[in-house]
Amino acid sequence: MADPPDDERRRRNQFTRRCLMLGGAQAAGFGLIGLRLFDLQVRDAHRYAPLAEDNRINLQVLPPKRGRILDAFGRVIADNDDVFRVTITPSLARDVGAILRRVGHIVPLTDDEIAGIVTRTRKKNRNLPTIIASDLSFEQVAKLNLHAPSLPGIKTDLIWRRRYRDGAALSHVVGFVGSVEHFGIDDDAVIRIPDFRVGKSGAELGFDADLRGTGGTLKSEVDARGRIVRELEKVDPVTGRDVTLTIDSELQRRVVERMQGERRASAVLLDIATGHIVVMASVPGFDPTNIAGGISESDWATLLGSGDEPLLNRAISGLYAPGSTFVVVTALAALDAGVVSLDERIVCNGRYEYGGQIYRCSNSAGHGSITLHDAIRSSCEVFFYAMSLRLGIGRIAGAARAMGMGAVSDIGLSEAKPGVVPDPDWKRGNLYAGWLGGETLLTGIGQGYVQATPLQLAVVAARLASGRAVAPVLRKPAVPEAGSGAFAELAFQAAHFETVRRAMTAAVNDAGGSAAKAKLAEGKPLVAGKTGVSDTSAWSGESTATRMAWPKRSHALFIGYEPADAPRYAIATVIEHGGDGEAAAALASDILALATDRVSDERRRSGGDSGNVPGVGAGRDEAG
Amino acid sequence: MKAVYSAWNTGQPLRIGAKLLRVHWPVIVTTCILAGIGTATLYSVSGGSFLPWAERHTLRFLVMLAVVVFMATVRLEVWMKLAYPVYAVALLTLALVPYVGVEALGAKRWIGAGVISFQPSELMKLALVAALARYYVHLRSDEVGRLRNVLIPLAMIGVPVLLTLQQPDLGSAALFVALGLSLMFLAGVPMRYFAFGAIVAIAALPAIWSGMHGYQKRRIEVFLNPGTDPLGAGYHITQSKIALGAGGIAGTGFMQGTQSQLNFVPEKHTDFIASIIGEEWGFTGMMVLLAIYAALILMMMLMAQRCENRFARLAIAGSAMTFFVYVFINLAMVTGLVPVVGVPLPLVSYGGTSMTTLMLGLGIAMSAYVHGRDGRH
Repeated sequence: MADPPDDERRRRNQFTRRCLMLGGAQAAGFGLIGLRLFDLQVRDAHRYAPLAEDNRINLQVLPPKRGRILDAFGRVIADNDDVFRVTITPSLARDVGAILRRVGHIVPLTDDEIAGIVTRTRKKNRNLPTIIASDLSFEQVAKLNLHAPSLPGIKTDLIWRRRYRDGAALSHVVGFVGSVEHFGIDDDAVIRIPDFRVGKSGAELGFDADLRGTGGTLKSEVDARGRIVRELEKVDPVTGRDVTLTIDSELQRRVVERMQGERRASAVLLDIATGHIVVMASVPGFDPTNIAGGISESDWATLLGSGDEPLLNRAISGLYAPGSTFVVVTALAALDAGVVSLDERIVCNGRYEYGGQIYRCSNSAGHGSITLHDAIRSSCEVFFYAMSLRLGIGRIAGAARAMGMGAVSDIGLSEAKPGVVPDPDWKRGNLYAGWLGGETLLTGIGQGYVQATPLQLAVVAARLASGRAVAPVLRKPAVPEAGSGAFAELAFQAAHFETVRRAMTAAVNDAGGSAAKAKLAEGKPLVAGKTGVSDTSAWSGESTATRMAWPKRSHALFIGYEPADAPRYAIATVIEHGGDGEAAAALASDILALATDRVSDERRRSGGDSGNVPGVGAGRDEAG
Repeated sequence: MKAVYSAWNTGQPLRIGAKLLRVHWPVIVTTCILAGIGTATLYSVSGGSFLPWAERHTLRFLVMLAVVVFMATVRLEVWMKLAYPVYAVALLTLALVPYVGVEALGAKRWIGAGVISFQPSELMKLALVAALARYYVHLRSDEVGRLRNVLIPLAMIGVPVLLTLQQPDLGSAALFVALGLSLMFLAGVPMRYFAFGAIVAIAALPAIWSGMHGYQKRRIEVFLNPGTDPLGAGYHITQSKIALGAGGIAGTGFMQGTQSQLNFVPEKHTDFIASIIGEEWGFTGMMVLLAIYAALILMMMLMAQRCENRFARLAIAGSAMTFFVYVFINLAMVTGLVPVVGVPLPLVSYGGTSMTTLMLGLGIAMSAYVHGRDGRH
């Protein structure tokens, strides 16, 4: 199949010919580029050249000021500091050292500092301004401008710097700003301004579109040195809109203070009537002012490298198996499906056998013969293994979703995670395997694949307490929503909710209750709740949890609401490696105590009229 | 089948030392000069610092240079056998992009798998050249002109073009068309087909316009009249022209650019790096740069001339053509001759993807030159 030699020769000749033709086309292409460059750079250079002798029009983008972030009571969480700076442009200054010494009469500069600035300017493009000093006083700026004619190359400017009032306490909620890393060809022109800052996390990122504002433009005539001769047309920038959050920053600060004792923990406090997030705390935190002000690389690496992940907002991005807090969902599903009656007793001897495997109860000695009410109160897993088997995974998953799990609770923060409500479809789609019967049992007690964020757990508590589809809100709407009971009723029967609520009240307040640590001081309203333990490794049982070393210990969880008879707040707390649920219950109790104190404080301060405390109406009805 | 490979299978196999001697070193040196220009410019763009771009650019180039020299020692047969499978993989991943791709800047072009993410359209640039070269290896000259043998290569070009247009990635689609058609031209497809194709293309222009995305239309409109949107899509072109104009004949000098350095020019380290070179080194510098590229392309076309094997000839010419198309589209874009399409300046622009593609193409070309040359003179 080899070609005859003359054919091959013909083809080589043809190839050469065609190469020449293609080469001609390429030469023409390069010639075109060359001509175009000649036009732009030689013939018409004066038209484009900014440093030509003629004055020319310059168009400058003016950065807008960023909107503030406020808390529920209008307290400022994040705003801007005006910072005056003075810079020097070497190409205009000529003798940088001499000019700096003259500036030193107005702004104190040591010889070392001057030497340092001189070296810095040498390393840079001579047309680029170098910062000499920032945080100047108004007086210094006035003096510098007065002496401007004798200080060539010296310029003062005003920038804003983001200031976060509450430091680490609100770090995850408010987030931080940073410079733009990439921008698309068709992006807003504003973000191309050097040093322009945009939201990078938390509310700063989630509500960035409103906070950012709109850039202005300044059309001016400039001389050959780039100095403005006169302004032609100015469109002022529009300051970004303020964003008001539902957070009570003062309460949050106190809550975080209380949580300093824990290594990694998070808590969410919801106002049940409105869904407002009053507290969303996550420790450890970080200082957003540090990061926004330009963090050093080593500090940033320390933050990122820390095993405790301080940048993570555990309240909405931390995923935990809900453990026994989930049995309230299973109980509700079982009652709703009619697979159990209130007086039915199931015998717990500390273990449950299914499919040739042993599933253990938190109480290895067994709870004995037990009803649904007692099973919630004393946290009996065996009872709920039986319930799960009767229900099947479909009905458990359905109830979990109805209670707010398995989907992102959209509060405007992009960090929020959806969690997992497992069912056979989920497992096939994600783990490429079929559903096993035993996994239904594990799901029913909140272990296995099921995962939720603390915010979702607080929503479960709020929905349980109110019977309504409470949805969390972080940003206060500009117009207060009209009327109460905005949330729709859930599809479960009121009596079934009542049964679970009674059991949760008993879990906290009965002598043998599993969540007794959540009780408030004498004379304070009753709390209802349920503890949980999230297994970090194999199912080990709550009793052994505390004895293990810290990293192996289970996570402690608690969900609840208060007051038990007229719920106002829903709460969820998670303490990573906190051992059994008691630690989380104790934390929740402290937070609820702070929250109720807040209400009475506010009432005292405003002379009994506490109309500006969100949702206080419900609390007052109950107190009166 | 054996006879086809006879050009390099007769005689003794080449030793590694002999292979290295047969590498076209002037071409290698030229690529080093280009990468050096890139490093210097990136150093200047970042205000006199090897960080964040110049250092990584240099390292990336040196790694790819080692890869090129290694590839040159791999037998041409290997590349030929890989041509179709790689083309199939490229086509498959390209087709998968809409389903598993990662969206960036309004267009889905990347396929991500954790750390490893790549643009299938880049792989296709290599695969298309190799597959077309492979296709023509077995065709006798009288078979090249048959309709069937015109339609199959056209389909090999057309399918990836349609897939990239969907992403949408106008730059890559244009590149496939230019590369594919010039390879068909070099392979000896009769002139009458090209004349016919030109007529059809002109007739189809209105249909292409109506099929374009809104942002693509806007860019072309802005390109025709940049004054309409000085802060939006016209911004690039206007700022780039000002920077070039500021350079004049002699340029402002190394590290002395104002326009580009003061952040007026966006994408100054990637697609618009030529405007920095134009400002700092002036018209003179741009002419030198153009001459270096012209020399590189010319040397590669001469490399192709010296090869006896058809696959080798087309693979080398394809690689040369890739360089040309990149340079031409990029400089035409920077000088405002064509709309902004996002094509980098070969080996000078910062960015790993295009450098990888170009250097791998060069590696195959070098292997073709080492193994596909006539005799042993």
